[in-house]
Amino acid sequence: MDEKLRAALAAVQKPGRYTGGEPGCVYKEKDRVDLRFAFCFPDTYEVGMSFLGMKILYEILNKRENIWCERAFMPWVDMKRQMEALDIPLYALESKDALSRFDVVGFTLQYELSYTNILAMLDLAHIPLYAKDRGEDDPFIVAGGPCVCNAEPLADFFDLMMLGEGEVQLPDVCDTIIQGRREGLSKKEILKRLYKIEGVYIPAFYEVDYLPDGRVAAITAKEGAPAVVRKAIIADMNSQPLPENFVVPMIGAVHDRAQIEVLRGCVRGCRFCQAGFLYRPMRERNADMLSRAGQNLCANTGYDEISLTSLSTSDHSQLETLLDDMLEWTPKEHVSMSLPSLRIDNFSESLVRKTTAVRKSGLTFAPEAGTQRLRDVINKNVTEQEIERTCSLAFDAGYTSVKLYFMLGLPTETLEDVEGIADTAQRVVELYYQNPNKPKGRGVQVSISVACFVPKPMTPFQFVGQDTQDRLREKQQHLLRSVKSRKISVSYHDSRTSFLEAVFAKGDRRLSRVLEEAYRRGCFFDSWEEQFRYDTWLEVFRDLGVDPAFYANRAIGLDELTPWSHLDYGVTKDYLVREYQKALNARTTPPCNRQCSGCGANALLGGPCFAYN
Amino acid sequence: MRTIRVWFTKTGEASYISLLDLQRVMQRALKRSGLPVWYTLGFNPHIYMTFAAPLSLGQESLCETVDFKTEEDGYDWDAAAPVLSACLPKGIDVVRIAPAALDANDIAGAAYAVRYAPRDAAAARAAWEAYNAAPSAEVVKEGKHGKTKTIELKTHLPTARLLVEDGGLTALLRLPAGNTLNVNPVLVLGWLEDASGLPVTAGRILRTDIYTKTGEKFS
Repeated sequence: MDEKLRAALAAVQKPGRYTGGEPGCVYKEKDRVDLRFAFCFPDTYEVGMSFLGMKILYEILNKRENIWCERAFMPWVDMKRQMEALDIPLYALESKDALSRFDVVGFTLQYELSYTNILAMLDLAHIPLYAKDRGEDDPFIVAGGPCVCNAEPLADFFDLMMLGEGEVQLPDVCDTIIQGRREGLSKKEILKRLYKIEGVYIPAFYEVDYLPDGRVAAITAKEGAPAVVRKAIIADMNSQPLPENFVVPMIGAVHDRAQIEVLRGCVRGCRFCQAGFLYRPMRERNADMLSRAGQNLCANTGYDEISLTSLSTSDHSQLETLLDDMLEWTPKEHVSMSLPSLRIDNFSESLVRKTTAVRKSGLTFAPEAGTQRLRDVINKNVTEQEIERTCSLAFDAGYTSVKLYFMLGLPTETLEDVEGIADTAQRVVELYYQNPNKPKGRGVQVSISVACFVPKPMTPFQFVGQDTQDRLREKQQHLLRSVKSRKISVSYHDSRTSFLEAVFAKGDRRLSRVLEEAYRRGCFFDSWEEQFRYDTWLEVFRDLGVDPAFYANRAIGLDELTPWSHLDYGVTKDYLVREYQKALNARTTPPCNRQCSGCGANALLGGPCFAYN
Repeated sequence: MRTIRVWFTKTGEASYISLLDLQRVMQRALKRSGLPVWYTLGFNPHIYMTFAAPLSLGQESLCETVDFKTEEDGYDWDAAAPVLSACLPKGIDVVRIAPAALDANDIAGAAYAVRYAPRDAAAARAAWEAYNAAPSAEVVKEGKHGKTKTIELKTHLPTARLLVEDGGLTALLRLPAGNTLNVNPVLVLGWLEDASGLPVTAGRILRTDIYTKTGEKFS
């Protein structure tokens, strides 16, 4: 290890974030590979090491003998300061080589408020921020992940973005770059080959014109690039092996456990949920494949906890079989199972029994809205009775704490709906005390966590303007006043971060200079409360003459050209409009494994998504 | 039930693994290795482990130990060392696995080598010679709950032996270690920084041996 690095590590908190060397990390001879890929997560090590997508792609790329994939994270404030002071460029953890020496530097875009961290990481690596300023010797700067569905605010910084699923697409991109380099092609010539790969979007090959009022007038493809870029998809999840080797972090990651992705996508169609629309159609993996992969993963990593991960795990059609299969080996191998993302409406007694066989933790459910009317608006098809039934089941099984997630600021929401949140929590408290089987001598704790609704692209609510911050704060106060019991605790999100999130979620290319300027003035780690400089953001918007409310609070016309009109995730705009109109009338749409509602995503598979009876 | 002792190194990147993290790392490595390890019998079974005289963050060592329990007799522990090594991160190598001979409470001292790069060798030599010549070397040790304690280093380390190797300098020290009295070598390096301006970070600390009260090597 380099002496400067040792000096930096001696001066920072948690140096283990910056050393690499964890069990499972991959080392290769750098001169013997054709392409070096730096997988960058624009947040701290602990957050990034929780991310399953990185583990999947790390394993896929490193299985290729001629590619070496390494990892880089955003250094925390203290380390960033040390690196700047000692002139240590941002490096990848495995080789400790500076990112500028890589062939491809790839970022995953998971959250809008991590955008400034991307600029900070490029800057720390001494890589020019803007694609147009980078030369032939600089790495390709690429992006993937959900926010790519509208990363137009970052368009000027990236050479290439990848829409959809990376398992096949990313190795294809790497191979095309290797081949192009071998033939001595320029970066631009290589990019002109890359857009032929499904889901590859080269921002520089699209010209955006604006109307005098600021809306988008036209998006024009150049250089032969496709007019519309359609996401890449793995049609059959059983064709795609699960990762069986994780890099196992030594300092506790946020999610520090084995994970198996039981299904991808979601059948539910909650209208606020971007993931639910981006990852359509829902595709499952077979129970036996999952159980086997989970067992191997635990054996290879030494993890004693495994999580069955997905957007909605209890929607897996073979969930009971899967749990039975896993219970065959988990107890004797000292592994406990956890099931996040359970649904209130299909939470069964045997499910409770099976998951508590090893360890009992708290229960978390997400009704999202406090009244039936509003739940129908957002298409969260959960009824009052189901919430009550589920909580009774859980209390019977000995649970004493329940966490409920809600949102404020949903379309059509009234103060009555806000009171409904408090009422729902109150009913759960009462249910506990009415339950004859409740654990003896123990009280109940109901925590309600309330987020501010952020309208997201590619959802039926993309057309909606976000509630103003004043309105959101008013609703938060109203909620606090409506909660009467000390058994209920309320936590809510800062409406300022939600506002910025909305700006960048629905933003366009004119925001890139805002991002750059905010970064120059010291904004990064914006999602970390202690680092969030809201006033600086407002000053930057004002100084650059950009109105953030135009992006966050303005309703988008149903016939308006959005900044993301040229990006296609399979769901048609007609469908989004239809769903939006149904929402305004509080009409629900059934889950797509029960009945096809014609969103258009089945075209990605070339046939029906489910075998309907 | 027998207590088995694993001797391992903790160098390079691994020197930045804290004790809390090391416990997690070792738990997983033992599980992966498939060695016949005894698990506690509670609702949440885990491997019962004891680390003797844990090292400070950033210091390196050739002689760390962790104990676990086993119900197995006559197991070939020699053959197990490379198996466990393969499950551990870079910088942690298993040197030996064998039934524990002594109790961890018997530990009373440790030997350290503090290494300086050629660039710092002259300054380091001057600083250490000043230490060796000083009649007294007091430092303030900060304890838990904000309490402080003044320690006379000379009581524990009258002088350090200095070695010149490959143009660099190595200072060899022996200090109290263990449950009752523990003097961290960083305290000595802190004294050098105050007295001679030699930065604490210039020296790389490597623990080389652990001793018992009677001066024999811990085993």
